[in-house]
Amino acid sequence: MRIEGAAVAGIGMVRFDRYPDRSGAHLARDAGLLALRDAGITLAEVDEAFVGYIQPAAMIGIKAMKELGLTGLPVTHIENASATGLVAFREAAWAVASGRAEVAMAIAFDKMTDMARNAPSRGTGRDQLDSTILPAAYFALWAQRRMHDHGTRPEHFAAIAAKNWNHGALNPLSHRRPDHTVTVEEVLASQLVAEPLTAMMACPADDGAACAIVASTDWVRRHQPDRRVVRPVASALQSEAYSPGHTFLGPVVGPATMTRTTALQAYEEAGLGPDDMDLALCHDAFANEELEYYELLGFCGEGEGERLLDAGDTALGGRIPFNTDGGLIARGHPGGPTGLAMVHEVVTQLRGEAGDRQVHGARRGLAHLVGGGSVCTVNLFETD
Amino acid sequence: MARVAIEEGYFTVPDDPAEAPRLLGSRCGACGEHFFPRRQVCARCLHDGCDDVELGPTGRLWTWTYVHVPLFAKKNAKVSAYGVGQVDLPEGPRVQALLVGGPDDFEIGMEMVLDLETLRTDDDGNDVVIMRFSPHRAAGAHEGGERP
Ligand SMILES: [Zn+2]
Repeated sequence: MRIEGAAVAGIGMVRFDRYPDRSGAHLARDAGLLALRDAGITLAEVDEAFVGYIQPAAMIGIKAMKELGLTGLPVTHIENASATGLVAFREAAWAVASGRAEVAMAIAFDKMTDMARNAPSRGTGRDQLDSTILPAAYFALWAQRRMHDHGTRPEHFAAIAAKNWNHGALNPLSHRRPDHTVTVEEVLASQLVAEPLTAMMACPADDGAACAIVASTDWVRRHQPDRRVVRPVASALQSEAYSPGHTFLGPVVGPATMTRTTALQAYEEAGLGPDDMDLALCHDAFANEELEYYELLGFCGEGEGERLLDAGDTALGGRIPFNTDGGLIARGHPGGPTGLAMVHEVVTQLRGEAGDRQVHGARRGLAHLVGGGSVCTVNLFETD
Repeated sequence: MARVAIEEGYFTVPDDPAEAPRLLGSRCGACGEHFFPRRQVCARCLHDGCDDVELGPTGRLWTWTYVHVPLFAKKNAKVSAYGVGQVDLPEGPRVQALLVGGPDDFEIGMEMVLDLETLRTDDDGNDVVIMRFSPHRAAGAHEGGERP
C-alpha cells in the first residue's frame, strides 16, 4: 500500500565513529536532539516513538528515550538486524499515515565496538557449529559464485569500494573521509580477508546514532513552509520465501531474490519504477553486494551490473548514483542506526542540501537494507 | 578415546573413524522435500510432520571462499586460515560448512564428501569434532567412479 500523507519533519545523526567514552543512550540523545531541533519541536510534540538497536540487551531503548524526556509517549523497540533503522522508520511513517500519530519518531543507536569487546561469545568465538563463519566469508561465497557465473573480477568489487570511499570524502558525516583519492589498486592491495574480498571492500565496525521525525504532510507544510517537503511513499518489508536449495544453518546472505521481490513490491506500491529514481542507497557491507543490487533493484538486467559500474553510472555525476554518502563502507555501519543514516542522506539530497555531493535536481530516492540474511526492506522517497 | 560432536543434532559421529559421517536432516511426510538441519514443519508445504533422515555424505560444491582469519578467533583451534563452502546435497539442501584444503584445491561444481575434524580434547578426554567437506579425491581420480 502506498504511504499517503506522511512527510519527514526532521533528521539528525551523530557521525559514525568509535566513541569509547560515550554511552549508546547519550549518542541516541544527541541524534534525537538534532532531529527535534531540525523539526523545530521538543519531545512534547512527539506522539509515538520507535527505538531500534541490535545490541543484545533488554529495554535499553526505553532507557535511551528517557534521556530526551519523560512525556508518557508510547515507545516500541525494533530489532531486525542490519535493517533495524529502516524498519523503525517504516513503523513511524505508518503510525503517521494511519492517522494514529500526528508526529512520530524513529531513532536508533548501537555500539559495535562494545559488542566486539564485551561479547567474545559472539561471531567467530562461539563454540557452535554455525559460528565458524565470518560475515566476510558468506559475502565472499556470493562474490565467488558471481565471478564463476559472470566473469566478474576483483577489480569490479574494488572499483565499487573505491567509489564509496571517495563519496565518503565529500560527506562531513562519513566515518571514513580519505584525504586522497582512493584507487582500485589501493583497495586490492589491502589485507585479503576472505577471497576475493579485501579489508577495504568491507564496512568498518563503529558506534553511532541517528533519528528521523515523521509528521503528517499537513503538519510539515504548516510548520516548515520554506522547506522542500520529502515524503516516504512506499516501504516494503519481506522475510525469506522458501525455495529448493535453501540454506538454513549458519550466517548466510539469504536468498538474493528477496531484494528483487521486495523492490518490486515497493515500486508497485508507489506506482514508480527504477527509472524514476535519482539516487539509491543500498546495503554495501561488502562491495560485491552493491554490484548484485544494481540488478536486483532493477537498475539493469542480470549480468549487466559490471557495465553499469564501468560506465560510471553509479558514481556521483552518473545516471543513478549509489551510496552518495559513502555507504556502509565509508559512512559506516553501527547496526541499528544505519537505516536512519540512509534516511538522513536521502532527505538531505531531496532537500537539495547535500553540498559537494549533491545529486542535481534529485526528486526521488531509494533506501535498501537486508538484515541477518533473513529480511529485506526497500523504501522510496519523493519530493515535489 | 571417544569422539563427540561440537554441537549435538547436526551430524553422526560413527564409532569407526574410517566411516563417513552423515548429516542429520528431515524429509517431509507429505511432499517429500528434504531439509538440513532437522525441522518439524515442512518449509515447502507447511505440513506438520517431517521424519528424521540421514543425508549425504557427498554433494557438489556450489561456491567457496578461503578465509585469512583464525578459526574460532584462535580460541580452541590452531587454524590460521580456512576454507568455507556451500555444498548442494543430492537430496536438495544446500549446506554451508568448513572445507578441507587450500585455496587452490577448490573448484565450483566438484564433488565433495563430508568428514570430521578434531578441534581439541575436552575435560573428559574426548575428541571434540566438527563436520567439514573435502574434495572427493576418489571421484576426482576416476570420473563416475565408486562412491561410499
Ligand atoms: Zn512438505
